[in-house]
Amino acid sequence: MAFEPRTQPTPSGARGGVLSFWGITLRKRVEIGLLYSREGNYARISEACRQGALSAIDAINSAPESGLELNAIERDPRGNIDLYQPLCTEILRETSARHVVGCVTSWSRKEVIPALEKAGGTLWYACPYEGFEASDSVVYTHACPNQHLLPLLSWTFPRYGRRGYLTGSNYIWGWEMNRVARDQIAAAGGAVLGERYLPIGDVDVTRIIDEIRATRPDFILNSLIGPSSYRFLQAYAALGREDAHFTAATCPVLSCNLTECELGEIGAAAEGLISVGPYFNEAQAVLPGAAASFGSSLEAAAYSAVFMLAGLLAQNQKHASANLGELLAGSGAAGSGIDPETHHVALPVLIAQVEDGQFKVQDRWPEVAPDPYLSHRDRVPAVHRPRLSVVR
Amino acid sequence: MTRRVHLSNLGGARAAILHRPHATVVALTRQLVAIGLEVTQHWPNLGSGALAADFVFFDTDLGHDEQFPWKPGVAPMPLVALIGSEAPGRIEWALNQGADAQLVKPVGDSGAYSALLIAQQSFEARREQAAKIADLRARLADRQTVVRAVVLLAARGLGEADAYDHLRQLAMNRRETIEQAAHRVLAQFSQDGGRNDRSEHS
Repeated sequence: MAFEPRTQPTPSGARGGVLSFWGITLRKRVEIGLLYSREGNYARISEACRQGALSAIDAINSAPESGLELNAIERDPRGNIDLYQPLCTEILRETSARHVVGCVTSWSRKEVIPALEKAGGTLWYACPYEGFEASDSVVYTHACPNQHLLPLLSWTFPRYGRRGYLTGSNYIWGWEMNRVARDQIAAAGGAVLGERYLPIGDVDVTRIIDEIRATRPDFILNSLIGPSSYRFLQAYAALGREDAHFTAATCPVLSCNLTECELGEIGAAAEGLISVGPYFNEAQAVLPGAAASFGSSLEAAAYSAVFMLAGLLAQNQKHASANLGELLAGSGAAGSGIDPETHHVALPVLIAQVEDGQFKVQDRWPEVAPDPYLSHRDRVPAVHRPRLSVVR
Repeated sequence: MTRRVHLSNLGGARAAILHRPHATVVALTRQLVAIGLEVTQHWPNLGSGALAADFVFFDTDLGHDEQFPWKPGVAPMPLVALIGSEAPGRIEWALNQGADAQLVKPVGDSGAYSALLIAQQSFEARREQAAKIADLRARLADRQTVVRAVVLLAARGLGEADAYDHLRQLAMNRRETIEQAAHRVLAQFSQDGGRNDRSEHS
């Protein structure tokens, strides 16, 4: 599904949940959890998701026909991995919330899953991730690899080449992204010229830059997060000023997780960076009737998570207390966009490049069905042939 | 040894679950369907239809040999044991079936994907090893053939070492094993009534 434009704040079919007596509408109060870190290495990403969720809550609460009044129960793990599980448990135990919108890193998502299982709760996860998961307790509203990495690489190969350098933060996102990339590059007859990881938060990128300078790849896949990524992009821009090969025309940096919400932090060093996602801020142009736009795909995915949840809750007689299984067994499930088998969603795939501080969309596929285990070859979007103007 | 897991196309692969109707079957089916497999449930017997399955998950708690359409240990696909009671006798039985991986019951939200990959890898490794062992056995059984061929060649005035080198050269020229070359030398010899094998290597 495409992300809903904000001019249509009514969850689809939400009228089923409205109780009306002589014209007076009674709205169901529903508590939902928010579990986003407001400080730490990935605070900007967290904040973008949080804003998306909060603005969706506002939109639903200000639309009487939604039949719901959502009440956010917020907990802040402050970027500390060990606080996610206890705070998630606290939300599920001390409040009536059964649904938690939250988590940025895969590490934190995996931490909260046992707590969700125990309490029958659900996590609505709004960030791109590395796939190979389909928890019964999670709904994944952002992209998995067949919706980000695979189309990005197949778009890149004919335009820039098949010799890649892979880097990432030293945890599952970086490891698994690079493993999938290695397979794709090998299958395309290319070569991985180097692969290096940095601990989360580490900004010593000297060795990575040295290796890139020595191996002269066709592209760099950057799965670093937070300050490591910002520092790397700045150092790579400096390398480009020394040697013109290391610029976007001949050796671009690719990313599956970089969005508008981090561009400000990176500044001019982001110029030429190529990113993939289900939404870019420029994309408002293709959503007819959308009065406002989202700041980033993270904001859009969190917004959409709350809307999907509200749509399901409004149609279920148990409302607040209904768990995900009950919601997806109900009548509203088919229209929710959530794949009942994997709990992922079909998404547009857009490839965009930073120009003058903004993402400019280069290519797009309108809707790609999710394939979290990469077990369906037919769900890899077909490569668009490069336009001559794009070939440098 | 570093082993690279190659993710074969699990989409559309068939999994047969041999287990009585139970929450474990529901949970396991959910996981397998999410991964992309087609799932069938069987009880009390697998039936010959299961021969077409790509993976078989079987209950160890109530399981017995007669449930399978093959003899213990020779299943033609990877097997995953569903273990409830961890009694040594039951685990021994599961091993005798040739379990390539296991899932401990109750099956919950995860575990199926790693069981599939591990079972597939162990099954393939086991099959490769079995083929290698069969090949080595056959070559071992041919030791006498090689000795006889060397003796025959040596009888024509070559030294023992030269006769062996000559045999090896014959094998290399025709890209066959030394045992196969030895068989041909002996066959040629008996065809020629033991008088002349020059045609073999002229």
